Amino acid sequence: MSPVLSARGLTKRYGKQVAVDGIDFEIPAGRIVGLIGPNGSGKTTTLKAALGLISFDGELSVLGLDPRTQRDELMKDVCFIADVAILPRWLRVKDAVDFVEGVHPRFDRKKAERYIANTKLQPGMKVKQMSKGMIVQLHLALVMAIDARLLVLDEPTLGLDIIYRKQFYQNLLEDYFDEEKTIIITTHQVEEVEHILTDLLFIREGKIALSATMDEIGQRYVEVMVPNEKVAAARALQPIDQRTVFGKSVMLFDAQRAGGLSRVQLEALGEVRNPSVADLFVATMKGSYA
Amino acid sequence: MKTMNWLIRRELWEHKGAFFWAPVVVAAAILVMIGGGLLYATFSTGAFQLSVGGDQVLAIEGLPPPMRDRAAAIMATSYLAFASPLLLVLPVVVFFYCLAALYDDRRDRSILFWKSLPMSDEQTVLSKVAVALVVAPLVTVAVGIASSLLLLVIALGAGASKGINLVGPVLSNPAFYLSPLYLLSLLPLYILWALPTVGWLLLVSSWARSKVFLWAVGIPLVTLALMAWFDFLIGRFAGLEIGVRWFGEQVVARILGGLMPGVWFSYVDPELLRPQQNGIDGGRLLGLSYSTLAAPSVWVAAVAGCAMIFGAMRLRRWRDEG
Repeated sequence: MSPVLSARGLTKRYGKQVAVDGIDFEIPAGRIVGLIGPNGSGKTTTLKAALGLISFDGELSVLGLDPRTQRDELMKDVCFIADVAILPRWLRVKDAVDFVEGVHPRFDRKKAERYIANTKLQPGMKVKQMSKGMIVQLHLALVMAIDARLLVLDEPTLGLDIIYRKQFYQNLLEDYFDEEKTIIITTHQVEEVEHILTDLLFIREGKIALSATMDEIGQRYVEVMVPNEKVAAARALQPIDQRTVFGKSVMLFDAQRAGGLSRVQLEALGEVRNPSVADLFVATMKGSYA
Repeated sequence: MKTMNWLIRRELWEHKGAFFWAPVVVAAAILVMIGGGLLYATFSTGAFQLSVGGDQVLAIEGLPPPMRDRAAAIMATSYLAFASPLLLVLPVVVFFYCLAALYDDRRDRSILFWKSLPMSDEQTVLSKVAVALVVAPLVTVAVGIASSLLLLVIALGAGASKGINLVGPVLSNPAFYLSPLYLLSLLPLYILWALPTVGWLLLVSSWARSKVFLWAVGIPLVTLALMAWFDFLIGRFAGLEIGVRWFGEQVVARILGGLMPGVWFSYVDPELLRPQQNGIDGGRLLGLSYSTLAAPSVWVAAVAGCAMIFGAMRLRRWRDEG
């Protein structure tokens, strides 16, 4: 099956500044991909290129279409949230539902109404009367009711309280996602999405820093709680990151580094576990804030 | 087509106040002032009666037939003139609508929501053109006709209560029925004349990052002022002329003033527009109006308007909203 999204030498320049620097990647169908990078790393630019919102150089194919020239066709199968709380102030809840139902052939009105019923939103309410969180809830209710093949979420839960955020990701996984669909998420709250992701794409200074499935990551990266007496031996194995928790050293190893490391080797050093995406991210991004 | 229908509905949700309530409020004001004044005059004074010292010296019951016919003819042909204040509201409303049409959703970033739905930028821009050139004028005309009819009923009623019954002659005058049709049949002409203005305003609306009004009005006026200055210098020292007048009349006037209903009359020989004896001759005005289409400049300007609308679509497609 052809990939949902494939990029070859994708480049975007703003004047002299290179926002995305010739990246290559592929996203197959049925994945939930976390696109993760620091501010200004080029992740939003990459998404905007894929959504046909900006021009770019290089090759980019989304659902087999070129977002530059075939955007109108593309938007029948793609939906996105590019920024939070951007619904127009004059829009009423019921008008928003009517409108999306009117223009989108893949919109399920019942589903949207079900999501809205779970909130404090009233049909006659205008966006200008809503809190920021309520606007996000309305936007998410509309988007989640669209049966799109590709859903792009750029910081979708900013401004939502934790209960609704959890609920949203739960719905996304149970109600929305299936093997025909692909979801790309960027967020700063990595901990909240890591359990639903199938793939990780780290982006740093316009380049892909890491691209792997969560399974690969589980095999490749290992975190070891090293007791003090073994610290020197552990250091010899060149951890990619090291921090101290309650007086114990926590070291992160890349099992695929030159020479290779076996799990057995690492287990000898101390308690072994899978690193969190956040820790892995920090280790990978080291230096990009310096 | 279905999408277009919803896009137009969306515009009406957003601008209900400007497109519907503004003409309704103005029409209501006209009704209260003129209709109310008429009723007050009818019922508070014993019009057409002259009394001296309690003795009635003169009482006019009705009018002599020739005057009566003329009054009826003027009423039947010209009652829509009561709606003319509405035709002054329309260009103001549409002017500011066009300026905001492709700018407001970029400013509040809701463009990112609209762009996430399956509708093209061409459709979006066209829906705004349709609202500016067809929907808004039709709403205004409908409100105008309704309020004029209401006022006519009041006037006829007031006359009848004083013994001057003009209902029959007014209703039997074909002009009474034709006037609304004349007004409606001016719409295609209005669209042609308004196209350059709508095109220019939408172009600026989709291009400017801020201060849309200043750009839209400032660019043509500053250009005109610069040209006048150059013209003055060149004319003085080199004896050349660079067509400032032409630029003012053919470019600035057309891109800023095209929304004014009846703007085409400024291109009609004023001699032909002399006031007429028995009210407005709608058919003649219609003919004169459409005769302005003989000038190629109208068509050139309309094509330029379409080109600017196309430019607005391209800009909306590619403008990076950050």
